Amino acid sequence: MSDSVLDHVTEGTTRRGVRASYFRNPWRKPRVLQAVTVGYLLWSLLPVAIAVVFSFNAGRSRSSWQGFSLRWWNGDEFDSLFTDEALRQAMLHTFRLAIPTAIVAVGIGTAFAIGIDRWRGRPARGANFLMLLSFVLPEMILGVSLFLVFTFLFDNLLSLGTGAQWLGLITFQMSYAVVIVRARLLSIGPEYEEAAMDLGARPGQSMRRVLLPLLSPAILASVAVVFADTVDDFVIVRFLSGAADTEPLSVKIYSAARASPTPAVNAAATVMLVSTMTVIAIAYLLYRRYGRGQHGADVSSFTQL
Amino acid sequence: MASAETTAEPTRRRKDGADEAAGRGGAWFPGWYWPSFALPGTLWLLVLFVLPFYTVLSVAFGTVEPLFRSPLPVYQPWWWSFDTFSETMQKFYAGDAVYQQPLIRTFAYVILASSICLVLGYAVAYYTARHAGRYRVLILVALVSPFWISYLMRIYAWQSLLASDGYVNDIWSIFAAPTNWLSGRPVTVILGLVYGYIPFMILPLFGSLDRINQSMLEAGRDLGASPARTFWRVTLPLSKPAILAGLVIVSLPMFGDYYTNDLLGTQRTSMLGNLIANSVFQSGQGPEAGSLTVVLMVIVVVPMLYYLRETKRAAESL
Amino acid sequence: MAGRHPMDSSSRRWSRRQFLTRAAGGAIAVPSMAAVLAACDKPGTTPPSGNGTDTGEIPLARPDSPVELPLNGDAIATDTPIEEGATLQVYNWDAYMYKKVLQAFEDEYGVSIEWTTFNNMEEGIQKVVSGQVQPDVFFPTTDYISRLVQGAESGPLIQPLNHELIPNLQANVWPSFSDPGPFYDRGARYTVPYTIYTTGVAYRRDRISDADAEAQGYEMLWNPEHTGEIAYYDSYRDALGMALIRNGGTDPNTGDPAEITAAKDAILEIVNELEGSLRINGTYAKLPEGEFTVSQAWSGDIVGAKYYLPKGTSEDVLGFWYPEGERGLIANDTIAIPQGAKNPRLAHEFLNFFLDEKWGYTNFADWNGYQPPFTSIVPASLIDDKVVAPTLNRAVVTEEMFTTALIQSQLTPEVDKLWLDAWSAIQAGG
Repeated sequence: MSDSVLDHVTEGTTRRGVRASYFRNPWRKPRVLQAVTVGYLLWSLLPVAIAVVFSFNAGRSRSSWQGFSLRWWNGDEFDSLFTDEALRQAMLHTFRLAIPTAIVAVGIGTAFAIGIDRWRGRPARGANFLMLLSFVLPEMILGVSLFLVFTFLFDNLLSLGTGAQWLGLITFQMSYAVVIVRARLLSIGPEYEEAAMDLGARPGQSMRRVLLPLLSPAILASVAVVFADTVDDFVIVRFLSGAADTEPLSVKIYSAARASPTPAVNAAATVMLVSTMTVIAIAYLLYRRYGRGQHGADVSSFTQL
Repeated sequence: MASAETTAEPTRRRKDGADEAAGRGGAWFPGWYWPSFALPGTLWLLVLFVLPFYTVLSVAFGTVEPLFRSPLPVYQPWWWSFDTFSETMQKFYAGDAVYQQPLIRTFAYVILASSICLVLGYAVAYYTARHAGRYRVLILVALVSPFWISYLMRIYAWQSLLASDGYVNDIWSIFAAPTNWLSGRPVTVILGLVYGYIPFMILPLFGSLDRINQSMLEAGRDLGASPARTFWRVTLPLSKPAILAGLVIVSLPMFGDYYTNDLLGTQRTSMLGNLIANSVFQSGQGPEAGSLTVVLMVIVVVPMLYYLRETKRAAESL
Repeated sequence: MAGRHPMDSSSRRWSRRQFLTRAAGGAIAVPSMAAVLAACDKPGTTPPSGNGTDTGEIPLARPDSPVELPLNGDAIATDTPIEEGATLQVYNWDAYMYKKVLQAFEDEYGVSIEWTTFNNMEEGIQKVVSGQVQPDVFFPTTDYISRLVQGAESGPLIQPLNHELIPNLQANVWPSFSDPGPFYDRGARYTVPYTIYTTGVAYRRDRISDADAEAQGYEMLWNPEHTGEIAYYDSYRDALGMALIRNGGTDPNTGDPAEITAAKDAILEIVNELEGSLRINGTYAKLPEGEFTVSQAWSGDIVGAKYYLPKGTSEDVLGFWYPEGERGLIANDTIAIPQGAKNPRLAHEFLNFFLDEKWGYTNFADWNGYQPPFTSIVPASLIDDKVVAPTLNRAVVTEEMFTTALIQSQLTPEVDKLWLDAWSAIQAGG
């Protein structure tokens, strides 16, 4: 850069050694931050990797390695992931919950985001407040209140079980979709629709052919996030579960962790992990296809919270 | 932008009863058009979000049937009885004050864990936003990945690592005697909370730091500020909204957290969420569960309103 | 940046009016059902209905004052056909039934079994009472039986059994459980016994010698030397019961507030000063793994713990202490058929199956370690048959023990509340 900066650097080198010059250099590489970041990433991801590896443990232990085996995936007569009827049911139930929830929550949430963005007036602000409230509230409160509602108020209409779990999950996940789509809406602005309508499109057409494609990265991101979050969810589903066939993998993992877990639980968690990674990968690929050439179509729309 | 402003007609935004034009030329929406989009979501929330809150109150201020002491909700406010509620509240300050310690602990853990999330998260976000260079996308993917790895799996993974024959003790025993990490240590629970919630801090911070214009920092340096001062006087204030948002998004769910303590701690480190979860699944404790939920709601409402006000302001300032 | 975009909202500041609107918008709205509900009575003022009995209250059962439960309906007819291809809903503790035995039942009757689990009895009862789980077969402890017979607002919760469909009860089970029947259910009208067990202290023999164990007894759980390595059950009757007896009490059903408070303090001492943990899996899963040195133990838990030992660890490492004579707790679990069972005939077959000599024994010896009260099982030979390890000889349960040991049974609602309040204080930690 400027001469004065370089003078500074060499000055430090001759007088106090290289280390001082490092601290004086404004353009230095941030080694401390780098170390912290790398350390954080390892701390964040290594435990999960270890848990996945231990699903292949030959013994019962989840903490001491006793050799490689597929025993807990398929081998054991009663207790492995694919032979244990209870765990198989739980896997099916996880997907039975996650797929409809993702579709319905994103559908209602997208419509809500579009409506709220354009609707003016006090009722709009009230509805918006309610939606943001449901985003920020601890899940426990919603879980307990829905449990009480389904046990006492709705108990003749719909008892605890899959139906109740769907309703509860959609309620909780809706706000994720709203927040993500809304952020994208705000960054798009209304010009494109206005241009389309100036050119003669009807409102429905402009919605379908201009707005929704523009929103598609956010919609795909919402589907992926809601799917992942539903697979993971166990507060609401536990409170709203009935008999064993309405307990998804997450609840089984939680119960087993408090009783006597085996590596089959690790295997179940790995299945959850792989399924969400698959959905995210699909969403990302679709998003790359749709988002080609669009302004703002980059990874940051996934990080818009 | 300027052309859009001059062509944008305020009349188009009027919602009073304009008939739908055939769609040609103008773009007039009927008054019901946009609200109808928001209607399903709003109705849904009213039935499945607002109504359940009322049921919580009805159970908290209700009664129990005598044989199994299961809760009997009372929906009519004029029959509400505040006996159980005041009894539960007294457990916070009167007599034995058995709920006082969990409450204090909850606040302590949440504040500590949020602070650690902030410091560590800021460092990681800062590095990724400003210095990651080639590896940026890779690091971003790694940072985002905890969102799709189940929270439960992540804490369960730690439960195995912290067992007395787990890897943490293997490494720890190089320096000191093997410790029982899962026997109700606050350190374990706090670090567990940090581990679980820090991704929610990093991403907003990253988003904000990413958007800070490089020229502002250069200006600071050109005016003679050292890197530290530039950070303190320029970067930090610019990222303040994201810091506040991150703190709120991280700390509010922590108040209702009970599963981290269930898996990594014992009754010695119980939090408010544990009190609620224990009473929901215990016969005879229904009204108490409702009362405790009301307490949790009250604790969480103030920061929540603050956060909502801030996001509204941020959305409006776009 | 000149001017504001038409799409900006019209206000910017948080006015007082807005705040109130927002707060009201988020406030709890009175549902429109209020009008409908206004006509209803205040709940809790009408007594529970539909129990079909002519006696109001059933007296508390005690070993020295047995109770014959009134019939709250008719048992199913003997000629009811067995439900084919059904899914039998079983609601039981986790890990309490051998999957091989369940598989054999499924194969023999051509049905499938769905096993929903609970981790402690309070949770199990709560879900059955609220209707959240509607099983065909349920495994209650004895202190809930008469309440289940009387039932909640929706009616009785368990149904009378048809003994003609359960011949194994008379044939295989101790007379004290079948005829005349146990004190809590004379004549075995509603329940059959599942397992019998004592409650003692399990310990690792590689860390505590047998002599020390004998000398300390219950105090092993309160010994500061084992700080951080103590496990205790998180079931309130068992937890407070043992603490009561350790403190010198003689009545495990006491309503004395001082005794209960002392027991509560003792357990809080374990939780706080001694860094112990209250959990259900301390004995059968964690003690064998070495996580704990000493734990409160049901006898079946420690006998069955051998299946959870890591590879290469010998059975000798497990020990069990139980007091001689009067100071020990003893109990049994039961099987009952809930009132709303969808497959009651199949449920009767299930009860009969688990009372079968062969299958009941397999369930015990090869899996859960909990003795069934069968006449065919000779306690003295259990060790020779290698079912119970020699170091666990105190874990064998005999019929005489039931006459001298302490049995926990149903409490009055007021006393129950004292116990539950102490328990919630314990769960809140210190």
